[in-house]
This record gives sequence, C-alpha cells and structure tokens, in this order.
Amino acid sequence: MLNRWLKKLIGKSDSRGVAKKRLQFALVYDKLEVSDEVLIKLHQDIVDVISRYFEIDKESLKLDIRKSEGRSALIVNTPILSARRIYPSVKASA
Amino acid sequence: MDGKVIVITSGKGGVGKTTATACIGAALALENRQVAVVDMDIGLRNLDGGMGLENRIVFNVVDAAKGKCKIKQAAIKDRRIENLYLIPASQSDNKDALTPDIMVRLCKELRKEFDYVLLDCPAGIERGFENSVAPADEAVVVCTPEVSSVRDADRVIALLYARSITPRLIVNRIVPEMVENGDMLSHEDVVDVLSVELLGLVPLDNQVVISTNTGAPLVLQKDSEAGQSFRRIALRMEGQDIPIEIPQAQKSFWKKLGIIIGIGK
Ligand SMILES: Nc1ncnc2c1ncn2[C@@H]1O[C@H](COP(=O)(O)OP(=O)(O)OP(=O)(O)O)[C@@H](O)[C@H]1O
Ligand SMILES: [Mg+2]
Repeated sequence: MLNRWLKKLIGKSDSRGVAKKRLQFALVYDKLEVSDEVLIKLHQDIVDVISRYFEIDKESLKLDIRKSEGRSALIVNTPILSARRIYPSVKASA
Repeated sequence: MDGKVIVITSGKGGVGKTTATACIGAALALENRQVAVVDMDIGLRNLDGGMGLENRIVFNVVDAAKGKCKIKQAAIKDRRIENLYLIPASQSDNKDALTPDIMVRLCKELRKEFDYVLLDCPAGIERGFENSVAPADEAVVVCTPEVSSVRDADRVIALLYARSITPRLIVNRIVPEMVENGDMLSHEDVVDVLSVELLGLVPLDNQVVISTNTGAPLVLQKDSEAGQSFRRIALRMEGQDIPIEIPQAQKSFWKKLGIIIGIGK
C-alpha cells in the first residue's frame, strides 16, 4: 500500500489504477458500443457538471450500464463529499 | 436427492478452469461427496492429463452421447481420491458431436449417481459453452486480475444471467506483491467492476504447474496455497460459512518483526 502511494508521489506508473479505469470504460463500451473517446468525454463532462454543485471524489465516479427488459440505463455513481454553498459560475469551472 | 450440476467457465482461455474443476472436484470428494468431473472441451481433452488419468480412458462423453455406452461406463475412477470420477472428452470428434439437449439428458443420468457434476467448459462463448451451460444449475466463473480476462468474465456473467443462473466468481493467479505495488488489479477492483458474488481467491502458485506435471492432486498438498484455497472454495460450495482469505505477500523479516512488536501493518 505504502509502495503504491510512494510510486504515485514520485510519479511512477500505477498500472493497477490505470487497469481499473480502462476496464470500467471497456465494460460500458462493450454494452453501449460507443467509442472510448466518447465515453471519456462523457465521463469528464459529467464530473464537471456535478462538481459545480457538489464536492465529489473525481477518481471514484463510476459510469455503468444496466440492461433490463430491452432498455439500457446509464447509471452514474459517485460519493459526494459535501455540497457547495456558493455555486461557481458555469465559466469558472475548476 | 438428485445431485447438482455446476459449470465452470470463463470466456477467456487459459485462466484456470481446468485447474479449478480438478481441484474443486477432488476437494468435494474429500468431503465424502460423490463427484463426477466432465471434460467438455471436445477435441482438446485436458482434464484427464491434469488428473493423471490419461492412460485409462475407454469411453468418453461423445460415446455416451452417441449411445455407444452408458454415461456411467465412461466414468473413470480416480487413482488417489475415493468418490472422484472423470468423464473424459473425446479427442477425435468435433464440437458438433454434442448438443445442449443431449447434455441435459446425460446430466439427468449423472445427477442420480453423483452429488456433484462439475462441467469443465471450453474457452469461448460458442457451441461448447452452450453445451456446458444448458444442463447447469449453478455456475462458477473463473478470471484472472487482468483487463482482458475480467472483460470476458463480464460477458459470460451477462450470458449466464440471461439463462437465469446467478454465477459466483473465483479470482485466480493473484500475485499479492504486485497488487501491493499497484501493478495488478486487486480482487476488490475485480469484484467492484463485475458486481458478482465472490466464491474465492486463489494465488499464483508454482505448485499448480508441478502438480499438473506429476498428476498428483494439488488439494492433497498441505503446503500449496492454491490447493488450500480450492479446498476452502469447496467447503463454501457445500454451504459452510468460511470467510474469504486474501492472499498475502510473503512478509520480509523486518515487516514481520514490526507486526510482532506492534508497529505498522
Ligand atoms: N493459481 C495458479 N498458479 C499457477 N499456475 C496456474 C494457476 N492456475 C492455473 N495455472 C496454470 O495456468 C495454465 C492454464 O490453466 P488451465 O488449463 O486450468 O486453464 P483453462 O482455463 O482450463 O484453459 P483452457 O481455456 O485452455 O481450457 C496451466 O498451465 C495451469 O497450470
Ligand atoms: Mg481447460
């Protein structure tokens, strides 16, 4: 565990984290059949929008596709750290 | 009471289905269950070699399908473990020799004789997969902590759900040192992504290869971590409530000392 943080600190690759992200994208992609690029952009946009209202852990936001009775649902799951009191204006997004 | 038919599958090849089938079958037999393991990889038989029974084959599952013998006659008794039987694949026929309907019929026979019928599914999601899943009551999905393997497992899990089977997962070939260093997906990552019930975790273990060389059952080796993991998996399949142990990296002397005197983890 310590090694992992050290690696991150000194900027060495954390291939486990990369693998998990790739995997999550791949699974959504497999079910939706949209390109990786689109998904990564969608992911980023969702993070941006939610961040305007809530403090979220950007790393652990998850996109998921659930299929039920011929319908697909896009499920966004993110832990919320806190609500923002003052909503930053749209332009001034972090 | 009729026995259970359980398919062991993965999508991706080479992740440990055959190893898992042989080990779980042996472990269940050691619990005094009547067990048949069936090699469903028609044309590429494998399970016989792993169990050291390759010289004893008389009939195979395709012979039974064609009515050349009763399915019971194709069962070879294990040399070392009581109550364990192997039904081999045929080496010459192709996959079309079996159909889902025939497998359902053969397994109906086997259920009467055995408490557990374990089907070692071939890789892929084509004919061999269909044949193996059709008669199954339960499914065990095996994957390794690699992107391609987990992705295939996800696909297979969806196919099983579509057949109203809720699979359980074994993560095989875990290298704890690599997980700790951030160079391998952890079992939590895998379970998180697949959202499926975990049946067990099996570390990478050189004893696995040694045991397939010699044909000696892995689960009888007390010093084999993988073998012991499979024994606990078998107990869980028996319904025993055994916590899932996480494969640990071999600790260095200084770390061990640290733990003993109570600093660090
Ligand atoms: N936990 C483990 N530790 C070390 N080696 C392992 C482990 N599990 C499996 N292996 C090795 O990996 C190889 C592939 O295993 P196995 O034949 O069980 O996979 P499989 O999924 O049945 O493959 P296939 O799709 O070709 O049927 C074998 O050489 C086996 O000895
Ligand atoms: Mg195999």
